Amino acid sequence: STSLSRHAVCPRLQPPFSCPSRLMQVRWSRYSPSFLEPEVNKEFYQKPLEELTEEEREQRELKAVRPIKAAPPTLSSSVFRDPMISKFTNMMMKDGNKVLARSLMTQTLEAIKRKQLEKYHKAPENEKETIECNPYVIFHQALKNCQPIIGLSNITKGGKTYQVPVPLKDNRKRFLAMKWMITECRENKHRRTLMPEKLSQELLLAFNNEGPIIKKKHVLHKMAEANRAYAHFRWW
Amino acid sequence: LPTAHLWVKNCRELLQSSYNKDRLDQPLQASAWLKNFKISNERFLREIKTQKKYMWGKRESTEEGRPLGEVVDQGLARVRSASDAVGVVLKELKQQSQQGSFRLLVAVDGVNALWGRTTLRKEDKSPVSPEELTLVHNLRKMMRNDWTGGAVVTTLSQTGSLFKPSSAYLPQELLGKEGFDALDPFVPILVPNYSPREFESCYGYYLERRWLQHEKARTEDGKAELQFLSGSNPRQLDRLAGPL
Repeated sequence: STSLSRHAVCPRLQPPFSCPSRLMQVRWSRYSPSFLEPEVNKEFYQKPLEELTEEEREQRELKAVRPIKAAPPTLSSSVFRDPMISKFTNMMMKDGNKVLARSLMTQTLEAIKRKQLEKYHKAPENEKETIECNPYVIFHQALKNCQPIIGLSNITKGGKTYQVPVPLKDNRKRFLAMKWMITECRENKHRRTLMPEKLSQELLLAFNNEGPIIKKKHVLHKMAEANRAYAHFRWW
Repeated sequence: LPTAHLWVKNCRELLQSSYNKDRLDQPLQASAWLKNFKISNERFLREIKTQKKYMWGKRESTEEGRPLGEVVDQGLARVRSASDAVGVVLKELKQQSQQGSFRLLVAVDGVNALWGRTTLRKEDKSPVSPEELTLVHNLRKMMRNDWTGGAVVTTLSQTGSLFKPSSAYLPQELLGKEGFDALDPFVPILVPNYSPREFESCYGYYLERRWLQHEKARTEDGKAELQFLSGSNPRQLDRLAGPL
């Protein structure tokens, strides 16, 4: 009698490599390797054939032949799309409620814009140029100001764990800044204030290098500076 | 009046009216309206004079011939008699617009709130009908047909209305029989979406007032995208332009 084994490997899936020099693949993809990524940029397709280089012509031919992966719903060809804002919205989302997270994000941006415009209209002529009204610029600058430069990691040596200062990758810095922002707004505020209001306040403070998140970053830097002696424990 | 629905639901404070024993007052909403009225109509408040003497309780009274601004200030200072102040203001405006010294425009959004039911209850848990609210009563007097020298523009909306099914959008269904009879010469006006010229003027207005702050919003592509996404609908355009 034939019995289907539970461990039969689907022929389309790639098995993980077990070479000692390479890391094991943990995230699997249901797509076979012949699938290509979707291209969002409109200009790529609008270029006439003469202007293309060799590689681009090859790419075009490939796209005509190979199948393409399905585009995720957050990927759009809109001019107003910002990958950092989408990341932030995803981090704010709870229980998969993207609608609510997105509406909170739009309300936050509008609140920032309103506050800045109010200040702009009340300010005298010479100060008007210094006030920044664009909510996107404020958002990016605030997050940049919140990013720590070095982080601490726990390394166990000789039975004791030490907090060793360690350089952080860009992705990790961005993630930490956004995480601190969201936790700060969720926990340390009065119960009745709404999230857009809290967020806009925090973003404006961070834009001017004030506020509790910047303090947290400075505390982390001081700890790293204090533990400078253990920096040689790092081996990567 | 931006939303009449706010007057008939979610009210925290209800006072018994001193002017008329059966009716109930709403100091919060009345003071909010008086504040907005004062900011928008400051010029006229100094020119228009009262024609009767009004008593606000035992010691305060407003004499004949004082500017209306005083009545408004009185309502703002004494929150208890705010709804009566609103009533006085409306009555004066109605009488004096007939003389022709100024034009009066009454714009009410969500007029079907004035004739539906309310979610408010009295202290003995009996429901309140809109007649018993001073604000609603005074506003209904303005809607009637018996004054000249001005215009009344109203809109109906289902979004804030109480106890009406969400598929009801015709005026007769939303107003009920009472309301439809009260708004006697009913002139329905069709408001279509923006034409291309209107869209351009709206877009230009947003740019000029610095409401559209995104750099890409100033390009041709951004404008075409806004037009497509909003479908030239004013409300959708407003919503889209908010965060941008």
